[in-house]
Amino acid sequence: MDTSVFRLDGVTKRYGDLVALDNATLEAGANEYISFLGPSGSGKTTLLRVIAGFEAPESGRVYFNGKDITNLPAHERGIGFVFQNFALFPHLTVIQNVGFGLTHGKSGLSAAEIERRSLEMIELVGLSGMEGRGVDQISGGQRQRVALARTLTMHPKVVLLDEPLGALDANLRSRMRNELRAIRERLGVTFVHVTGSETEALAMGDRIVVLDRGRIIQVGTPDEVYGAPASPEVAHFLNRFNLFDGTLSGGTFNGVFGAVPSPQAIPSDRSVYAVRYDRMQVLPVSAKVSGPSFRARFVASEYLGSSMMNFFEAEDGHVIEMEHHLSLGAAQEFEPRQDYLLTWNPDQAIVFGREASR
Amino acid sequence: MTSQTTIQKRQATTTRWLLLPGIIWMSLFLVVPILMIVYVSFWTQTTFNISPDPTLASWKQFFSSDTYTGSLWTTIRIWLIVLACTFIVGYPTALFVGLFVKSQTLSTVLLVICVIPFWTSFLIRVLAWRPMLGKEGAINIVLMKLGIIQQPIEVLLFTELSVIIGMTQIYCVFMVGPIAFMLSRIDRNIIEAARDLGAGFGRIFWKIIFPLSLPGVVVGAIFVSVMVLGEFATSGALSGRKVNLLGNIIVTQVGSLKWAMASVVGVILTVVMGIVIAGFLRIVDLKREL
Repeated sequence: MDTSVFRLDGVTKRYGDLVALDNATLEAGANEYISFLGPSGSGKTTLLRVIAGFEAPESGRVYFNGKDITNLPAHERGIGFVFQNFALFPHLTVIQNVGFGLTHGKSGLSAAEIERRSLEMIELVGLSGMEGRGVDQISGGQRQRVALARTLTMHPKVVLLDEPLGALDANLRSRMRNELRAIRERLGVTFVHVTGSETEALAMGDRIVVLDRGRIIQVGTPDEVYGAPASPEVAHFLNRFNLFDGTLSGGTFNGVFGAVPSPQAIPSDRSVYAVRYDRMQVLPVSAKVSGPSFRARFVASEYLGSSMMNFFEAEDGHVIEMEHHLSLGAAQEFEPRQDYLLTWNPDQAIVFGREASR
Repeated sequence: MTSQTTIQKRQATTTRWLLLPGIIWMSLFLVVPILMIVYVSFWTQTTFNISPDPTLASWKQFFSSDTYTGSLWTTIRIWLIVLACTFIVGYPTALFVGLFVKSQTLSTVLLVICVIPFWTSFLIRVLAWRPMLGKEGAINIVLMKLGIIQQPIEVLLFTELSVIIGMTQIYCVFMVGPIAFMLSRIDRNIIEAARDLGAGFGRIFWKIIFPLSLPGVVVGAIFVSVMVLGEFATSGALSGRKVNLLGNIIVTQVGSLKWAMASVVGVILTVVMGIVIAGFLRIVDLKREL
């Protein structure tokens, strides 16, 4: 890729016996929004800190603008970092925080120029008029913007954000999502955003990098990752699929729901059958179905405004989720503790298995 | 509306009852004694007797005598020197214990080590300096054995220097504790953020670490000041009676039953302390910080 901003080449990092990063290789383009998605302990924050230069990898190289920066200290990399808890300087005002890097770094700018640039950045993040406030006199969302502006005044080519929305309440989180994207687009820099929330990753990333136990297990656009998860783990993190264990042999998947012809399977060490929550159908036990089906007991439902989540318990105790979009009509009523027949169109399922016939 | 007022009334009653023990205690053992001292300082003192006839004699005597005013200046000078020394020795120690030591356990252990001298009595701690600093004391012996000096250094003991050394050692930990506490509360990400923004260690220290530790410095300085200003034992034991602080004057005056003069010195000492504490509290808003 010509427009590559940074590249990771076989980066490995251990903490004692724990492998935090295992041979991570990744390329990021200019002017891109990348999300790192993974559960806690997957190494996503470690990866971010390696890129930032706060942690040194045991092996592998980090390249930035074509230069090897593996041994370069954090502040000489030209990479900005926004901390999870914002890490604002609590005794300074908004403008002093934003201008800190220019004032105390090696910028060599005049005080007037620093003030002009700081104010420009404060305006960009929408905090005009607040520059004189102390950072303990502003709200969480405003602090987030100060942290972002403080990093952006240094004109970094890449901004790394460590769970930037984690400390905000739900309402603010969805507003800041749009804000972050808009700010990024205006500046044309690459943002790398670490998150444990699959909705955040899907909503914000131009590309999603999925991590599990220190390994990068899938890289792709939200559409690709959501539509075609590369492994059962990815499907699991997306939190949108019912996963069934079973065996795959001779183009047939054997699971609790019987044998289903599965001519196409994604290569994987585990044989797993995945059906999206909103692809599940619920029928009375007496109904005749041609496709795969199995009995499960209705447990509870959850009203989510635009959709209804129904929870069923299979005979082996496995919880099956079924999502009904209310725009498609009123929700079905289910009797608690009653058995129902769950089924789906096998063409819409995703099958993982050792036997990859794709 | 009515239920709310009853709740408020009940809360007010509870508050009053909770305040009562403190008020009684502070009145009996702080406010009344201070008023008493102020009152006694205006009593008439004769050689063997004291009578409550109001007079300014003791006050005039204090301010017209070089011995008394001199001890006021000595007290202030020693206080400032000891304060500076405890800060110079204490701040780097606190910086190490509170910020550079990453392990919580280790920093607690180090703080406990700082406090170990306090496991013995105050007088022993003071007197232990005599065999250290004396003409034939440990320091002189070591320096002579090493051939650094030929003659023992005599200014080490029974001088203002020995008083300053002794006080700095004894009170240093009161400076270290609060500063180390404030430093340990600094979010490490803040320092990392400052470094990421290109600030060098010096800038990070003066612009981030020091300002954030300032409340600890102020609390430590108040501790040290209050104790040093009221000192008499260290100066008595280590100066050979050559350094007379206001505290020493009070002790001798009380010893010879000169209650009026002792009261005058007591009032002056209290006023000085009040000014010093008020001054320190102007530097930071402690209520906001703690």
